[in-house]
Amino acid sequence: MDKASHLSVILDLSPTQWQLSAQSNVSHPLTLSTFVSHLLAFLNAHMACKDDNSLAVFGALPGKSVMLYSTTTPMDEKAVAADANTYRPFKILDTTITQTILDQIESISDNDVEAPIDIVGALTKSLCYINRVTNPANSRSEDATLLPDPRILIVSVSPDQSSSYISVMNSIFSAQKLKVTIDVCKLHVADSVFLQQAAHLTGGSYISIERPDALLQFLMMSFLPPPSIRQLISVPTQDKIDFRAACFCHKNIVDIGFVCSVCLSIFCQPVPVCSTCQTKFPMKTLLRLKAAHPHTPPPGTPPLRSGTPANSLPRSTSIAPGGTPRQVSNGNPNMLPVARSNTSATR
Amino acid sequence: MPSVQPPTEDSASSVEGTSHALLAFLQSQSQNTLTRLYQKPSSCLSIFRLLGPLERQLVMNLLWLESAIPAPTMAAWVTSEGKKAYEIALSVLSRLHVLPQYTVKLALNVTFKTSLRQAITGGGTSGSFGAPAEKDGKHPTPSIETLDTYALERWETILHYMVSSGTGRNPTKPSQGVLYLLQRSGLMANAHGPSLQITSSGFQFLLHNPHAQLWELLLQYLRMAEERQMDLVEVLSFLFMLSTMELGRDYSVEHLSPTQTAMLEDLRDYGIIWQRKPSSKRFSPTRLATTLTSSSPPLPTSSGSGADGQRQGFIILETNYRLYAYTDNPLQTAVLNLFVTLKSRFPNLVVGAITRDSVKKALANGITADQIISYLTTHAHPQMRKNVPRTHRTKQKPLLPVTVQDQIRLWELEKNRVKSQEGYLYTAFASQADYEYVLNYAKQLDVVLWESSAKRCFFGSLEGHPNIRGFIERRAAGKS
Repeated sequence: MDKASHLSVILDLSPTQWQLSAQSNVSHPLTLSTFVSHLLAFLNAHMACKDDNSLAVFGALPGKSVMLYSTTTPMDEKAVAADANTYRPFKILDTTITQTILDQIESISDNDVEAPIDIVGALTKSLCYINRVTNPANSRSEDATLLPDPRILIVSVSPDQSSSYISVMNSIFSAQKLKVTIDVCKLHVADSVFLQQAAHLTGGSYISIERPDALLQFLMMSFLPPPSIRQLISVPTQDKIDFRAACFCHKNIVDIGFVCSVCLSIFCQPVPVCSTCQTKFPMKTLLRLKAAHPHTPPPGTPPLRSGTPANSLPRSTSIAPGGTPRQVSNGNPNMLPVARSNTSATR
Repeated sequence: MPSVQPPTEDSASSVEGTSHALLAFLQSQSQNTLTRLYQKPSSCLSIFRLLGPLERQLVMNLLWLESAIPAPTMAAWVTSEGKKAYEIALSVLSRLHVLPQYTVKLALNVTFKTSLRQAITGGGTSGSFGAPAEKDGKHPTPSIETLDTYALERWETILHYMVSSGTGRNPTKPSQGVLYLLQRSGLMANAHGPSLQITSSGFQFLLHNPHAQLWELLLQYLRMAEERQMDLVEVLSFLFMLSTMELGRDYSVEHLSPTQTAMLEDLRDYGIIWQRKPSSKRFSPTRLATTLTSSSPPLPTSSGSGADGQRQGFIILETNYRLYAYTDNPLQTAVLNLFVTLKSRFPNLVVGAITRDSVKKALANGITADQIISYLTTHAHPQMRKNVPRTHRTKQKPLLPVTVQDQIRLWELEKNRVKSQEGYLYTAFASQADYEYVLNYAKQLDVVLWESSAKRCFFGSLEGHPNIRGFIERRAAGKS
């Protein structure tokens, strides 16, 4: 049970959002520097728990993502002055992270500020990093007990970008395959649909922090325990999860979507030809669907549960009767209206 | 053939499962001593690392709270299957005086809280992580390889001296201080003549892993420190300071207390620190020191046994009891010689066989079958690990051939064929009814070890005697 654990932290360093967060008219303002000091205490605590715990920190910036720190990359020893009062690994960690965050923020040009935050890039990088750590190419001993227990913590301050739906879902499935737990710490803004799903599907916890002044305590109690301890100490999980998906055509988050019966692409309105697999749908079904669902859900469809209880996976709310896909039989492909499909992004 | 029960847990998990040996020592110390120890951030950090995972999490939960929290609030965080582990963790923390009281409200020891916070956030003026020495142009800092070679040489000298003490060969003697420590710890004794002989606990010691060996010696050192009127807090905090230092750096002796300066000499003998010369104003911790509170291997690769021979293991054991050890390290060969009949030696290979006689010899020396098996398991060659399929790992498919394991255990059982127990024999009962009446009484007390109704006698254990005697006397008195 007591084995090393690896933690990858993804920091959302959106200049706009941090600016908003620091403003005094917010109920509990939190500046980036206060946040970083809380975070460093948390990271030190993770490193303090076990000598061979490892850490990697990634920053998601407008339009790009960078690795800020990792325990495996050699650091410039000379850059950090020796100090009798601080444990040296902590000192190196603190100095490096503070310095790289400052460097990265300085290097953001005015044109880039409005570019979307590259959370997915950082998430992908951290998954690659974990893959490298847990599957060392040169290790001959296949002793699984020696490998660290990996997890990812995403600290998010920006709202969802629906355009990244497919890539987020694909990252989630990679994380599931790598047995990585994704924890999400959401600050200030409204709940993120995609990150909620990420935490739920990988068995992590999603916590939206309303009182940033207690941030450190939240981090310590909820995100410090490695997955192996969480059998003993219960970490809060969300009881309501937004399972909605984004459509492939306009990248909108949809309550009711239409799924291509051949390739499972999601669309926000009935389309004659699937943009992904070029399947043509019969006019009759199309007209019927359009008639039944202009903007209001058809009668007989249960009211949409956007907050579905976590333990009951929602099913498609109604399935249009009709033939099977063309490849299988002579029947015509149909567009199926669904509330949300878990498998829709696996393609 | 009697069936042999394999041990319920293998050696690796039993080492990890039990709490650290030092914690037991700390728990026996007074509250005053511990509170003084907790004044140093480095000590708090090291002790924190020695705790179990759940205990660490509890400390972290409480660390940043200013006020005490009610016990039920904290208990609400624990899942139903974690209740027992939670209770144990609380009692461990309370015995360490980290958590002075936990029945009504939970709050950390104030000194511990302040120091651990300081360790994590940095700063303060305690200087407990070691004052780095000034750059010295004349004598550059020794390289990590130099330190490793030094530590290994010192450590193997001690072990080699122990293992060959009975064989008549004369290896290099460790320093007087080390010899005294070995004698005091009961690992060696001068039973026959002036020279020291290894004892049965010494043989067991040789089969432990280096980390356990190191702590066993250090614990003995701590017990001796009390007798030598050294301040235990100073000794402990120096050890903890060493464990938080960085390998390949040198530190100044200027800020050390007199006790700690005196310790430098002892620690140099054990190979824990390196000094250019005894009067030097600086010292460098070796890998033995910096891994004191971690789980990484405290010794680098063993001298001459190849690049990563030590960590990878070197023993191949076959079902026909033959053993091939790919090593040229005299210490490893000597340790194997404790329970293996060595047949032939090649530059990088030792061939031998596990025989009844060799195992009997080991058992006579006080080594147990489980220790032999765990030594063979931890040092098994990667080739042997390969044979264990990944999917079977969870079912604990044994690494060593089952026949050999069972046979070693059977040889141990042979030793225990006769068990002696003190007691009293009750004979000469007047009648069969009398005999049965007393026997029934004794059986109710569960003290009968052996009975024979034909001979009208039975054997009862020592503890039961006063009762049985009283019973017979009362009965005799009642009759007359």
